[in-house]
Parts: sequence; structure tokens; C-alpha cells
Amino acid sequence: MLPQRIKKTITDNPKKLANLIDLVNLPSTLREFVGQSQISRLQCFMHVWSYIKTNNLQDPNNKNVVNCDDKLRSILLGKHQVELAELPVLIKLHFPKEPK
Amino acid sequence: MGKIPPSLRPAISASFLKKPPSHVPAESSSSTLTQFPKPHHFPKKPYKKRPSQLPGKTKKSQETDSSRMPNALTFFKSPNISDAMKLFSSIVNRNRAPLDLRFHNSLLQSYASISTINDSIAFLRHMIKSHPTFSPDRSTYHILLSQSCKNPDSSLAAVRQALNLMVNDGLKPNNATTDIAVRSLCLAGRLEDATELIKELSLKHSVPDTYTYNLLVKHLCKSRSLGTVNNFIDEMRSSFGMKPDLVTYTILIDNVCNTKNLREVLELVSKLKDEGFKPDCFVYNTIMKGYCMLSRGSEAIKVYHQMREEGVEPDLVTYNTLIFGLSKSGRLREAKKFLKIMTEMGHFPDEVTYTSLMNGMCREGDALGALALLEEMEVKGCSPNSCTYNTLLHGLCKSRLMDKGVELYGLMKSGCMKLETASYATFVRALCREGRIAEAYEVFDYAVESKSLTDIAAYSTLESTLKWLKKAKEHGLVV
Repeated sequence: MLPQRIKKTITDNPKKLANLIDLVNLPSTLREFVGQSQISRLQCFMHVWSYIKTNNLQDPNNKNVVNCDDKLRSILLGKHQVELAELPVLIKLHFPKEPK
Repeated sequence: MGKIPPSLRPAISASFLKKPPSHVPAESSSSTLTQFPKPHHFPKKPYKKRPSQLPGKTKKSQETDSSRMPNALTFFKSPNISDAMKLFSSIVNRNRAPLDLRFHNSLLQSYASISTINDSIAFLRHMIKSHPTFSPDRSTYHILLSQSCKNPDSSLAAVRQALNLMVNDGLKPNNATTDIAVRSLCLAGRLEDATELIKELSLKHSVPDTYTYNLLVKHLCKSRSLGTVNNFIDEMRSSFGMKPDLVTYTILIDNVCNTKNLREVLELVSKLKDEGFKPDCFVYNTIMKGYCMLSRGSEAIKVYHQMREEGVEPDLVTYNTLIFGLSKSGRLREAKKFLKIMTEMGHFPDEVTYTSLMNGMCREGDALGALALLEEMEVKGCSPNSCTYNTLLHGLCKSRLMDKGVELYGLMKSGCMKLETASYATFVRALCREGRIAEAYEVFDYAVESKSLTDIAAYSTLESTLKWLKKAKEHGLVV
């Protein structure tokens, strides 16, 4: 069932999927954070999210908010606090659409 | 909630054509109790199709070989032929007791699993030469044959090589040989090769038995056009006198039902009647399923009455299909009526029956009633499956009963159940709507961890949900 579904997503919307899993050359700030020179948007999100979890950066009073440490701040527009809900959008900023 | 609840699809359709159950109750399945554990596999073709009644015992012995001697599987570490030969000599020298055929076969099987076909043949030659008491039989060559079929990229040349080897050593391919070759080719997705080979073998040796024939028809139906299937059937009929049987027709009917081409179904039914077959329970169940998938409950009921008129006894699957179809098209009251009828007829409602009913209740917005039904079914000794839970989770989220939903999710998690795409999406959305973003992230983690969805699918859902949330907030729809 699932493969079919994925196939459908790909055929329906090839670009949308591509910009999620294509490897992208990273700007230096991000490169330092993830420790790789290339990463896909999906991997990047996973990386940041697991970084938040392992370092216990979620606010203990409100789990929906992340208190950024210095390292995280460097890639999330220098914000001290970000909401979990805006995390995908903030990460997407590092992956601009390719001008064509 | 007009969509088909995907939570039910696995119960009715997906598992329907999957592998036949490995236990083979065959004819004994008539007693309700024995088929109780896994009745949601419409037990139609699989039971009939299992080649356990094949004349050749060869395949069986080959299978038992690998299962009885699992330690042999780890014997060979390197695909290198000279290493394998050395290992073989050392085994032979260590063992004083005479080694039987089975032992040699499992050695070959083990080596074949990591090497190329040519090396396997060389290894067989070496075993024969260095150990003259060993005389390979069909099962030995079947190992090579199935190996030669497995590679998805190679041509039929390797298969022919294995077959020729067998013929040259004085063993004529039989039905089991054909079955093994066709089965392996189908599994590797090489349907054209399988078709070609089956014709070649029919011409040179013997016509395949109905199990092999129907297996290929089934695979062709799944991924090729109806024209291809018909061509194959016509060719087998005209060249080798091989006629489709009732099982073949059931497969064909199922195929046209899946493509929603119900007019073709009637044509096929009249065709099978012309050929002198009488539609059996499986045929009717398949047709009924076709109508139910399209939410055409009245037609499904008509099929039910027709089968009663023809004197065909409905089975558990018939009732499950009907109840599923009626629940799906929002005719819960009739579905419950059939639940009563089926118990009167001596069938025990199973988890599929209950899940279908719950699905119907959730559709009507009665998620609490569905939850009560969960308790009822457990009291009656019927254990819910992951599909049941997914249906309920979906329904609870739709009815915005988040506390119950989260509780149910906890149960699912402790039972290591997988989330289905739809219930995952609904759950994540419902959590986000209530501002429980962190919990939604946790569900995302679980979905990825439990391999319920691919991380791509899980993330896409999460991302689009959060996007939707932002918009909804801007419009003041969500607090």
C-alpha cells in the first residue's frame, strides 16, 4: 500500500518531493551545525529535532517552545526562543527554491 | 468524512491477495473455529492454490531442508568457489557418518544464496565428483533453478542453463519444476519471462498444473493489462488445451472488480456459466466485495440474495464483506441486521466484523459507541487488531474526543502497533488544532520509529499540518 502511495506522491508532485529529499550544498553556518557539507531538507529537520531532544531544549513549562542554545540560535535566525510549530518553516529558509 | 477509511482497507482488500497463509488447512477450513485466527484473509484462492497437493514431493523436501538445517545457512562466508570447495572437503573429512542427500542439498542451498549461478553449478559438480555416493535428485536441481530465477536483471539464459543441466543428468522437469521456476520468476517481477518459460516447458515437457497456471494469471492480473492476461489464457487454451477453471475466473473477476469495471463482472460470470461452472461462495464474495468497495450496498445485498437462491451457503467472509460495505455506505442499521443474521447462522463475528461496525459508527459521529463496542468485543473474547485501533483513533479524533484518543494512542504504542496513514494524519492534525504541538512531534517520532510510515510521508504530513495551522490561526479559526 505504501509504495503505491509514495509513487502517487511522486507522480502527482515530483518537485515537492524532490525539494524534500534532494541533497543540497549547505551554507557555512548550517554546515558547521550538521557536520556535513550536503544534506536534504528532511535530514536537516531530523537532525535539528533530534538535537533539540538530546539536549533537552524544550521548555519544561511549555513543551511547544524551544529555548535555543548558542549553537541552535546560529541557524535559527538568532532567536532565543522558537515555537516547535515554526521549526519546519525556519529550516526551509536554508533551502531556498532554485531560481530557474 | 466522505473518504474511504484506509484503516479498513488492509482488512478487506490489501491482505486479500497477499501471500497464501503458510499453514495449509486446505479443506479443513470449513469449521469456523479453525479459521478463526485469521479470517480476514478472504480465504478464497489461497486455500485452493497452495501447491501442497502437488504430485512432486520435491519442493516440499527442499523447503524442509532449509528449515531443518538452519545452521547450514551460515556455513559459507564467501562466495568464492575455491573457499567453498575447501570448506566442503573439511566437512566431509570430519564427518564419518554417511551424508545424505538432504545434507548436500542444504549445503548447496546455502552456497547458492550468496554466490552466482555458475559458481553454484561448479560447486554441485565438485560435490558429485568428490563424493560419488551423492546422487542429486530433482530437489537439488530445483535449488539451482530457483537461484537462476531470482536475479531480476538477468535473462532466461541462466534458467535454461539450469534446466538443461537437469535434463542432461537424466531428470525430466515435472510440474513441481515448472511451479518453482514460475513462482520464483513472478516473485522477482519477471512476468514476461515466466510467461515465456511456461509456454516453453509446456511445449517441451508437460503442461503446468492449475496451481501454477492460476498463480501466473494472478500475477499478470496484478500488474499487466487485461489484454495481456486474456492473450495468455487464449494461448494456453489453443496451444496446450489448458482451460481456465473456477479459480481462474475468480481471479479475473476480482481483478475487474478492483478496476471498478463491474459490467465486465457480469460478462465473466455468464462466461463461466457457459463453460459449465457453477459460481461458488468465493465467486460471490468477490463480486460482493466489488460492489462494497464502490459503496453500492443495495447491489451487494442483491448478490447475497442471489447466492442464497442458488443454494450457496454464505460464509464468514460473506457476512464480513456485507457488514463492511453497508457500514461504509452509512447503512449501519442494515449492517447490524446482518450481524444478527450471521450469529443466527452460527458464525462468530470476528475483529473484522467489529471493526467494520466501528467504522460505520465513527462515520455517523458515534465514536463513543464505537469505543463501547471495543469493550463488548473484548468481553466476547475477540481481540482487536491494529486496524481496529486505527479506526477508533481516527473516529475519536474526528469527533474531537482528544483525551480518549490520546489514551487509545498510548495503548497502541504499548502494543507496538503501527499507525496507518490516515489515522496518523488525523491524529497529528487534531493535536495541532488543540495546540499540543509537542505531542504531535512525539507522534511523528513514533510513526517513524515504528516504521508505520516512511519518514518522508510522516514529515510531509507534519509540515503541511503546521502550515495549515498557521493559516487557520491567521484567520482566527483556531485559538
